[in-house]
This record gives sequence, C-alpha cells and structure tokens, in this order.
Amino acid sequence: MKKNKSILLSGPYILWMLVFTLIPLGVVGYYALTDPDTGAFTWGNIQDLMLFIPTLGTSVWYSLVSALICLLLGYPVAYFIAHRGPTAQKILYMLVMLPMCMSFLLRTLAWVGLLESNGIINQFLGLLGLGSANMIGTPGAVILGMVYNYLPYMILPLYAIIVKIDNRLIEAAEDLGCTPKQVFAKVVLPLSMPGILSGITMVFVPAVSTFYISQKLGGTDTTLLIGDVIERQFKSAGNPNLGAALSLVLMLLVFICTGIMNRFGSDEEGGVVV
Amino acid sequence: MRKTNRIFSVLIFIFLYIPMAVLILASFNTGKNIAIFEGFTFDQYKELFRDRDLLALLGNSLLIAILSTAIATAFGTFAAVGIHSLKPRMRKAVMTLTNIPMTNPDIVTGISLSLLFVFIGTGMLGQKQSLNFWTLLIAHITFNLPYVILNVMPKLQQMNPALQDAAMDLGCTPVKAFFKVTLHEIMPGMVAGAIMAFTMSLDDFVISYFVTGTEFVTLPVKIYSFTKKPIHPKIYAMFTLLFLLIFVLMVTMNLLQLRGDKRKQDRRIKMASRGMRVFRRAIAIICTVALICGSAFLIIRSRKDKITLNVMNWGQNIADGSDGTIDLIAAFEEAYPYIDVNYSEYASNEELYSKLSNGGLVVDLIIPSDYMIARMISEDMLLPLDFGNIPNYKNVMDTYKDQAYDPENQYSVPYTWGTVGIIYNAKYVDEADVTGWDLLWNEKYKGQILMFDNSRDAFGIAQYKLGYSVNTTDKEELQACADALSAQRPLVQQYVMDQVYAKMEEENAWIAPYYAGDAMMMMENNENLRFYLPENESFNLFIDAMCIPYCCQEKAAAELFIDFMCNPEISGANMDYICYGSPIEGATEYMDEYLAESEVIYPPAEILERGESYGFLPEDITRYVENLFLQVRLN
Repeated sequence: MKKNKSILLSGPYILWMLVFTLIPLGVVGYYALTDPDTGAFTWGNIQDLMLFIPTLGTSVWYSLVSALICLLLGYPVAYFIAHRGPTAQKILYMLVMLPMCMSFLLRTLAWVGLLESNGIINQFLGLLGLGSANMIGTPGAVILGMVYNYLPYMILPLYAIIVKIDNRLIEAAEDLGCTPKQVFAKVVLPLSMPGILSGITMVFVPAVSTFYISQKLGGTDTTLLIGDVIERQFKSAGNPNLGAALSLVLMLLVFICTGIMNRFGSDEEGGVVV
Repeated sequence: MRKTNRIFSVLIFIFLYIPMAVLILASFNTGKNIAIFEGFTFDQYKELFRDRDLLALLGNSLLIAILSTAIATAFGTFAAVGIHSLKPRMRKAVMTLTNIPMTNPDIVTGISLSLLFVFIGTGMLGQKQSLNFWTLLIAHITFNLPYVILNVMPKLQQMNPALQDAAMDLGCTPVKAFFKVTLHEIMPGMVAGAIMAFTMSLDDFVISYFVTGTEFVTLPVKIYSFTKKPIHPKIYAMFTLLFLLIFVLMVTMNLLQLRGDKRKQDRRIKMASRGMRVFRRAIAIICTVALICGSAFLIIRSRKDKITLNVMNWGQNIADGSDGTIDLIAAFEEAYPYIDVNYSEYASNEELYSKLSNGGLVVDLIIPSDYMIARMISEDMLLPLDFGNIPNYKNVMDTYKDQAYDPENQYSVPYTWGTVGIIYNAKYVDEADVTGWDLLWNEKYKGQILMFDNSRDAFGIAQYKLGYSVNTTDKEELQACADALSAQRPLVQQYVMDQVYAKMEEENAWIAPYYAGDAMMMMENNENLRFYLPENESFNLFIDAMCIPYCCQEKAAAELFIDFMCNPEISGANMDYICYGSPIEGATEYMDEYLAESEVIYPPAEILERGESYGFLPEDITRYVENLFLQVRLN
C-alpha cells in the first residue's frame, strides 16, 4: 500500500527530467539537421563538421593532458588529506572545496594578471634578475588554467575513495613482507582506481567544453577550442544550427569517454574482489 | 616520503589560493591594474556599496540560487523517496536520466535548454521574449535536482526500513511516519545536496549565459561581459566579501557538524542531536525566507507600473557618471520618471545581430553600425521611426544624413561617428615604421600585434591594404584577403575586441587597429600611446546610429530616448565620455575643449575624404566571409 503511494512521488520528477533534459537534446538534434535559412532538412551542418576536426583534436588533447596533470598533482594531496585526523580532514576538505565556490571567471582573470608579459610573475622574475618568461598565449597557459580550475574535481573524488581504504589491508600487506612501494603499487593504487577514473572524467568533461579559459589565457593558436567555436556560432556568427551540430559531437564524445571510463572502472573493481 | 608529501600538499594548497590572494589584494589597490600594487585603500569597497546596479545583480544571483536550491531540495527529496520505491530496473532507468545533466558538458545543457525555450516560446507560442527569469529558474532547478537526488538516495538505502514500520505500528500515519522518521534519517543527505546545489547555482556561468534574457541577469553573466574590457576593481571588492561570506558559512557548517557528531557520541539515546536540530531549523528558516523573498519579489515585479525601456548598446558607449561625466541614463530617467531603462551591452555588431535573430529577447533600442543597419533594414529587422516624436532630429548635421545604409533616413538617427586606425606604443614602435596598414604585418613586432576579432573589421583592413573595395562581393578578392590575414596570423598575439584596452594600456601589446574614440580613451591612460590613420590608404569611416528593432515593445519611449540623445548639450556630455565624434550641431560647444579640438576625433577634412564606410553585403557573402574568418582563426 504505502510503497505504491510513494511510487507516485517519482512521477512529476520523471516528467520534469524528460521535458528539461531529454527533449532539449532532441531539439538540439532537430537544429543540427535543419538549414539556418530555410529550416528544411539538411546534412550540410554535419558535413561542415569536418572543418572542425583539428579544433576538436586540440581540445581533447589539452583536456587529457590537464586531466593527467591533475591526477599527478591531486593524488598526493588526496592521500595526504585522507591520512589526517578527522578534524584536519574536514578543514582540508573545505579548503579544497572553497575555490570551487568562487567565480571561476575572476580566478581565471587573476591568472591573466599573473602570467601577462608585464604580470606579477614576470615582475618577480625581474626583481630576481632572471629576465622574463613568455607565458601568456602559450598552450601551457591554457593547460595551467584548466589544471588550476579543475584540480578540486580531481582531489575530492580521490579523497572520498582513499579515505575508505581499509587500513588493515595495508597492515596485512606489510606483515606479508611488502615494501612501502609495493604496498602502494599492489594495494593502495588498485583500490583507489574508481576514484582515479571518476576524477579523470570530472576534469576531462568541463575542460574539453570550456570556452573561457582559452579566450583569456590562450594565444592565436589556442584561443579557439571547440567550446569557443560553439559559443561563437550561437553568440556572434548567427548559425545556431552548426552550433547545435557541434554540441551533438561534443556530447557524443563525452558519453563515449565516460562509457569507457565506467567500463574500465567495473573491470578493475572486479579484479580487486577476485 | 611522508615529509615530501606534506611539503608537496602545502605547495598545491598555495597554488590553489594564489589567484584568490591576487584578487583580494587587488581589492585594496588604489590603481586599476591587477598586476601593480600602487597603494592601500578601502575606496573600492565604498564604490561597491555605492553601485546599486552591481548589488542588484548580486541580489539576482542570490535569489536564483536560494529559490532554485529550496525548490530542488524539496522536489528532489520527494522524488528520491519515489525513486527508492520503484522496481530495480525502472530505478536504474530513472537514475540514468538523473545522470544526464551531470555527465553532459555545461555548454551542451545550456544550449539545449536555450534552444528548447526559444523553440517553444518563440516558435510555438509566438512570444517575443522567451528567455527570462522563469527560464533561468527552470534551468537552475534542473541542474540542481541531480545533486539533491544523488545525495539523498544513499541515505534512503542505508535507512533501516523497519524504522518506518515501527513508527506506523506505534500509530503514525504514513505521512506522519515520513516526517518523523524518514526525514530525520535522510536529513544529512538533504543538507549536503542543498549546499552543493546552492554553490553550483550561485557560481553557475555557462548554463545561465545561454538561458538568460536581458531583463534578468545574474552576477557571473555580467562579469563575463565586464571582462571584455578593463574590469573595475570594485568587482574584486565584491569577490573578497563573497569569499569571506562563503568561508564563514563553511566553517560554521563544519563546526556545527563536528559538535553534532560529538553530541551524538555522548548521548546516543537522544534521537535528534542539537546539531541536527540547529541544521533542521536553519534549513527551515532558509527555505521560508527564500519563499517569502521570492514571492515578494515576484509580486513587486508583476506590479511594476513603470514602462521598461530595453536599450542595447556597445560596451562603454554611454556616459555613466564615472570620471566626472554625467550619468545619462539616470538623467533620462529623471526627465521621464515613468520610464525605467534596462541597459545591456554587446561587444560587436555580429553579436547584436545574433542576439536579435536568435529570438527570445525584447529590445527596444539598439545602436548598430552602418553596415549592420543596412543588413537589418534588408531583413526587415528595423521599424521605421516616427519623427514627430523626435523634434531634435533637426540638430543632426546634414553630413550624417542620407547615408548609403539608410538613404531615406527612415530607420536611423546618428549617435556617433568615427574612424578606424592604428594605435601603437611609441616607446617600442619605431616612428619610421608607422606609415600604413603594413605596420600590422611588420615582422619586427611579431607577438606584439593585436587584431580585430570580428570578420568585418578584420577583412576591412585586409581590403584597404590590398586596395580592394571594402564592400566587394568578389569571392576571389575575399579569398586573397583571407590569405593576407592568414599570413599575418603568426605575428598576431591575440584576436581581441574590448580586451584591447587592458592589453594596450598595460603595454602587454604594442600595436592594434581600433576605433579612434577608444584609442583616445587608452591614450588618456597611457601617455606612450599614439593613434594614426594610414597616410595613403583608405580606412573605415563609420557611423553608429540609433534604431528600433522589430522586437520593440515600447516604441514611443524609445523615440523619446533618441530625441533626448539628439539634444546638443546631452550629446556633448556623452562625447566627453565616449570620445567619438558627435553628429549633432553645436555639441562641441558643450564638450571638453581638449576633445573638441583633438585631431584623433575630428581629423582634417582632407584626410576624412579618404575614409570609406561599410555598405550592405548579401547574406551568402556575409556567411562566406564569416566562414573564411573562422578558418583564418582556426588554422
């Protein structure tokens, strides 16, 4: 009786999500397959996509590199936080989360101020007599911006997994004669795999679709990533149909990537259980 | 090993907080440049509290965040209870649906919602303004719901189902049992979900950017439009205050939770610890306050008896009261107290065109340039003006009437005019190199050159350089221009629009083509900057004029605004701020002498003769050029 009634509670929600997530994706598909002028059916937008394959490649490449750097930087931090006392853990967790709550536009602008040729870092280098470095406008600056903005998305899921690793497993491995390195490679790392995978996904998805970081930190070779091209189609080039087609590609790409990640994830988990 | 890890972690935390420190420091800086600390001051905070528009934007952001969080938390909790009692297969399907907004890139979510709203609102219901407060609220609720559900579901699964049965055995109705038992058990999940939803909603930029109209804008969206030009340090002051607020909020949350945990350990028997009770009460208060504020706000909005006039103008293109000028919008509202001006900005003619042609907006007055006016006239996007409402039209100088873009003076009234030339930094650029457009192709200044980030101006420069007409429709000539621009690309530091201000003033770039009036403003801020028009080649002479677009709803009020701007005293005051040429007879008498006599703004007649204005291009050519330019940018 009671169960049946509470099922009804999910109805409005399912309806809401259908109307505001699934149907809009259908509308994107509709725009992608119609002509901007006549509104007639066309494959033209899909054919035009070929022009943007190099841009898409650059975006994917930058975001993958960013995700890997985030992993390398984030893992030790997550590990460090997970091995503090409960109070320290809470405080450190909060300190990782806090930057995420602040305007990412302004934080990116702060990086512009840091990296400009007359920026803070170069002034500092000048004081030390080290000359100046050319940073803004390079691919490195864009990747730095991505790493900086999305690092918390890596640390938090990693921490959530590492903190759950049973200490007795580590002690058992030590008792059985493992060196600290072996303990890490054979026990800790495999057990943190789900966190690593979800961290990579959580960094990759926003990084591959960003349209602000590259505009501010990139140079002529890097100012246009796939997100920028999409934004342009909607906000200045006046071709939402091509923009819709590009969004579909981006979405497909992201779903394939997360699909692969999930696949890997479940295999790994299976391996651990065995 | 342990020690290195500790040092490494500390370094990473420093890395995370450096930009924040830069912004906080910048809020106490007397200078405007974020990279140079000139002196300590609290002025930015005073400025911030004086700026009611900015505070209103913050209010908008908070309103949307609180409302959407409250609704999503209530809606999501009930939904989670419902989903929990679904059959496993169905539950899995619904959870996949829930995951869509989480895995989809924000830009795709934003675009899909915006297309849906425009498709339904404009396409099916024929509404003029389909993007508004409600669409923004729906979008925020939609992306907040998954956070609540994903946090509440695990708590429901952990809950012992016997608890609820026990409550019902003791005489509770199912509803009462839910509120007495279940709700208490899942409360931590609700709180965690609500906090995540609130922070995501408050800082959301990407989705809001696509689904917001002109009438209701949140702070991050406005900041995005700010960052196209030098940002005012009062924004940093606001950032600092928000940072403090969120910091305090988080610390209190954590302390409460810690205390709650301890109490729980101390007195296990007691069901509701005080921490939890405080939480529950806090959440209840927040929800009630949100609902009251929200409904009060909506009532006020619907009751408004003033006319709202939506004006859309270029960035920094009207005197706003800063630097000793007159705030013209305030002056207009004072002259016509029943009109409320809602002012928004665009960065290029193309952006304006996209905004209007995508639909979904109400705009009553726009100020596009000549060639865009021609295009809009040809596409029936402008309404003919009623000159009976614009008596001051008699003040417009004849030179600026009967222009090619509007031969019969039916649709437009000139607002400003100006030229496009090159601004350069005399400290770094050799005067001998300063001759024509060639300077922008000079290998010597590789990496220090900026270029227009809009197709018409960029192609225009290539056309002047190659000696083609700026209104050519010959595809071979256009291809040659694209090749010239591609050849220039390795020398270019960045393609910019309003960012040129910061770049040139702070000497992070040396050479840029730009509009004379803006060049004048940059020259006031950096004495090394000079401006010139090419000696022998042609250059762009442009007129920006006020027009009324087809989506206008307050035509008479818009005409009053046009008339107001044609008053010599007003136009002169306006030019003091925007530094362009005034098309109004007698305006120079009211202007700053330094500007009225400047050759940058009013070049000698023999030079002006070489100027050429942009004319109308057919749509297929426009799109062809747009595509060529995108290719230049991408390859």
